[in-house]
Amino acid sequence: MARIGVFICHCGENIAGVVDVDAVTQAAARLPGVAHAEHYRYMCSDPGQKLLIEAIKDKHLTGVVVAACSPTMHEMTFRAAAVEGGLNPYLSEMSNIREQCSWVHEDKVAATVKATDLVRLMVEKVKRNHALQPITVPVTKRALVIGGGIAGIQTALDLANGGHEVILVEREPSIGGHMAQLSETFPTLDCSQCILTPRMVQVSRHPNITLLTYSEVEEISGYVGNFKVKIRRKPRYVIEDKCTNCGDCAVVCPQVVPNEFDGGLSWRRAIYIPFPQAVPAVYTLDEESCLGLHPLVCEKCFQACDAEAVDLDMKPEIVEADVGAIVVATGYDLFAAQQARELGWGKFPDVVTGLEFERLLSASGPTSGEVRRPSDGRVPKEVVFIQCVGSRDPEQGVPYCSKICCMYTAKHAMLYKHKVPDGQAYVFYMDIRAGGKGYEEFVNRAVEEDRVLYVRGRVSRIFQENGKLNVWGADTLTGQAVEIAADLVVLATAMVANTGHDVLAQQLRAIVDEHGFYQEAHPKLRPVETLTAGLYLAGAVQAPKDIPETVAQASAAASKVQALFSRDELEREPVVAHVDELTCEGCFDCEKVCPYGAIERKEIRDREGNLLRLVSSVNEGLCEGCGACVVACRNHSIELEGFADDQIYGEIVALWPTTVGLPELVDW
Amino acid sequence: MPDESWQPQIVAFVCQWCTYAGADLAGTSRMKYAPNVRIVKLPCSGRIDPLFLVKAFEQGADGVLVSGCHPGNCHYVSGNLLARRRFTVFRELLSFLGLERERLQFSWVSAAEAVKWTEVVDAVTEEIRRLGPRKLGWGETLPSRGSRFQVASSKVEPETRNPKPKTLQAAEESIRRIARQLLEANAVDVVVGYGNGTLSGVTTPVFVTQPDGVEQLVWNERCLNNLSVYLTRDLVKRMGRVGIVAKGCDAKALVALLQETQINRDQLTIIGVPCEGMMQNGRLAVKCVTCDVHTPPIYDHLVKVGVGIEILEIGESGEADPRDAEIAALEALTHQERWAYWQEQFSRCIRCYACRAVCPLCYCDTCIVEQTQPQWIPPAFDAKGNLSWNIVRALHLAGRCIGCDECTRACPANIRLDLINRKLALLISDEYGYRSGYDAGVAPPLTTFRPEDRAEFIR
Repeated sequence: MARIGVFICHCGENIAGVVDVDAVTQAAARLPGVAHAEHYRYMCSDPGQKLLIEAIKDKHLTGVVVAACSPTMHEMTFRAAAVEGGLNPYLSEMSNIREQCSWVHEDKVAATVKATDLVRLMVEKVKRNHALQPITVPVTKRALVIGGGIAGIQTALDLANGGHEVILVEREPSIGGHMAQLSETFPTLDCSQCILTPRMVQVSRHPNITLLTYSEVEEISGYVGNFKVKIRRKPRYVIEDKCTNCGDCAVVCPQVVPNEFDGGLSWRRAIYIPFPQAVPAVYTLDEESCLGLHPLVCEKCFQACDAEAVDLDMKPEIVEADVGAIVVATGYDLFAAQQARELGWGKFPDVVTGLEFERLLSASGPTSGEVRRPSDGRVPKEVVFIQCVGSRDPEQGVPYCSKICCMYTAKHAMLYKHKVPDGQAYVFYMDIRAGGKGYEEFVNRAVEEDRVLYVRGRVSRIFQENGKLNVWGADTLTGQAVEIAADLVVLATAMVANTGHDVLAQQLRAIVDEHGFYQEAHPKLRPVETLTAGLYLAGAVQAPKDIPETVAQASAAASKVQALFSRDELEREPVVAHVDELTCEGCFDCEKVCPYGAIERKEIRDREGNLLRLVSSVNEGLCEGCGACVVACRNHSIELEGFADDQIYGEIVALWPTTVGLPELVDW
Repeated sequence: MPDESWQPQIVAFVCQWCTYAGADLAGTSRMKYAPNVRIVKLPCSGRIDPLFLVKAFEQGADGVLVSGCHPGNCHYVSGNLLARRRFTVFRELLSFLGLERERLQFSWVSAAEAVKWTEVVDAVTEEIRRLGPRKLGWGETLPSRGSRFQVASSKVEPETRNPKPKTLQAAEESIRRIARQLLEANAVDVVVGYGNGTLSGVTTPVFVTQPDGVEQLVWNERCLNNLSVYLTRDLVKRMGRVGIVAKGCDAKALVALLQETQINRDQLTIIGVPCEGMMQNGRLAVKCVTCDVHTPPIYDHLVKVGVGIEILEIGESGEADPRDAEIAALEALTHQERWAYWQEQFSRCIRCYACRAVCPLCYCDTCIVEQTQPQWIPPAFDAKGNLSWNIVRALHLAGRCIGCDECTRACPANIRLDLINRKLALLISDEYGYRSGYDAGVAPPLTTFRPEDRAEFIR
């Protein structure tokens, strides 16, 4: 006979302010099988948990229902408390009467009725719960880090220094990411490459890091602690170990194409190294620009290479690996500036994006750090910076704030003034958002020391006239129209989700938000984890971030992985399917729907060894507990622990009639 | 107009990764929405069994909402894509039976789409509120039985064809000869075929184990029944290697059984018989009108018949199925009229399970209807139980039924099961390009999916 305990949490006023907890408790106490019901201010607090533990012992409870917040918050808390009280953890369930009731409903009577229903539903479920034992699985102490920007580099180094093997995968020929493209960084104005490249070199030299550049994740299967990954190495047609980085091949290459690293402001050959400090320091033959990989067509690079590093017959290669955890650090892209048509990017050569301007400022850039405009190479004397291009613009771009543009625009204006002291910099802004250590001071420095002119307003149009760019805008503080004849215009374009995020996210079974950024497990409390166990986030893949925040999150992800790797075995939820071999007819529809190949065919033989029939059998190590097989089975010979048919049946039947046990409260 | 104070009661079956988390986010963001929905959490939308929905309606739900991850975002790779097909079929079935479409709602809500969740709940609640309470409950019938919504099958008279006695005679001799050879060569242990029964006008199955017994085998225009149903029976299985006399339609059942590994092709010898159509109640049987398998799709020995039979390409049939007009007539009715029609039909069900016993694809020894823990389908032949049983029977055959019409023939209450079977077969053929019984090598349509499957009804 079931003896269920029901505990209603007030959550301060969060629940009790809307739901009549006393009425719900009274109703719960009258439910068949309920041996104990009470309510308390904070069930998750220490005294709250003690109430539960004591009640289990005193009332000999066979199951508990805690009606409180979402199980995502505190399921583990109350399972642990149940264990302390002497119950199996899987005999504890939660009713979500906060996130899905008191916080979303204003009508107190309706909310109380709903809370009562939700409690009754869960009481019926928990009556049918079984004591389950967790399944233990070994942990592969090797991590996969996807993305070799500063986030991926930091995570990989932290993990490798912690003594764990790391596979770092980067789709471009070199690691470094966007940070390698930057000139100086706010708010300290230290050179970006100076602080980044030592770390890039560390990555390449670290004995615990396997660096796979020019590679992409092809396939991921498995689960936390036991992922299997396939990584496709694109052929770079240069043998990494043999290339001496001499550059003889590029000199003879007849094919010249725009250099992506410089935002197309310079040129490179078809065989190239993206930038001098690239890691690995080897050349890559870009097969799309190459005249043809057939030696009869060109093969000049092949002949020029004394080290015999050029291999025109190189084929894509699949690397397979077992890893225990995955960190996604695939970064961001920039909003396509041509979409803001009034600003003329793509039409006027002297309208550039912030990242292109970084290259113009950079000592390693196409102008060797001199600020010269792309159209005629003259030093611009009037430069207009426009913030929020695409950001905070639901019409043309994205609704969110890209967070870093205020800061880097201030930096751009300041650096410009340092290089061209007699020039004038204007910044069109909507608001200045400079939250961060030393950030506000930095913007003030741009205004006060470097005399950058900040104009609060938007730009409506840019057009070319007499070799100048006429910028028409408005100063909303004075209400005046503003017209500036500029030599150069710099657009602070929004940070958007990386291209290709959807394909990778699907493989990772991760959830992305409406803008394509990966969804964290909890916006405040679990910002580096995802809802997929063993999958973590680092950097701008989760949301727009600056470098310090990215590095902080990258280290956080690394420490999460290390915590996971500190154990030799993991306990998996025993939510797996089981087959009733007696009734299984062996149609193997379950086998067809199982995405994990967890269904095996088992032979049933008689004593003489004659095969009687084939039935399904579940490999618990592979089963992820989705339940697709259960629904495919017509005579219900498969059951999913934790979400068994009779549990769901109990929940459905419990919902009617709605007002069972509720004291005279409602009339609906 | 519905009573203003009336509140619809709606159950939502949601997956824990996307929609449940999205609903949590709505809470964390303090968004407000209608309080009528009660959530039942499941790991994946692929775990949501149509039986849950049937039970919820049976219990009195005014509406049901099913919600999971967007296609491509399933935490379990493809559960939502399987669910999409399953619920496409389920929704069409219930609509065909007369349930208002608004009562059965579907959405994809991701963990980030808190706003969408509130919009979905509000919209669903409002639509069902506008609809009001269900006019006729689960399994309830109109007071006057046999109402004007009766779509009588007698209205559509299938043509009468004259069977050719000579052809039949030749086939019979050929069947006996092949059966004798098989038994004498010890290639099979038993031949299952047709024999003359004690009643005139119908044949009965015979199980011939000795070469001399082949004289019992007959072939005439009354060999209507589908003998493949016996192949999954333990008694026949224990007899060893089986030879079976199969028409085209029977062979389709064999294909389906092979597909579901219920029979072993090595242990089976198929004596295929080209067939021009069988007679039922003095007329050409309805299933024979549109037959496109006059020659069986699979066989080991093909019976030679003297007179040529028009062999059609698979999937090609010369005639229009008379039942399509009936289906169209039913679909032209209002939901309420259609509901009343089917409730009246099902009210006649005496739960004898003849439909199940005679169906070659209902081979489970323990049927879902006999399971008691939990008892998804009420066992008594009352209104609720009859409706739930007939829904489940149709669903279990969706994408599998090969259209032999044995269930309808066997039904003592003349329930038009053939209309339901055909409706679902047409739907699956249209949506998924799949017809059961032609290819044992492909996965049945409800065990697979295509990423581009349509389902515009999902919000």
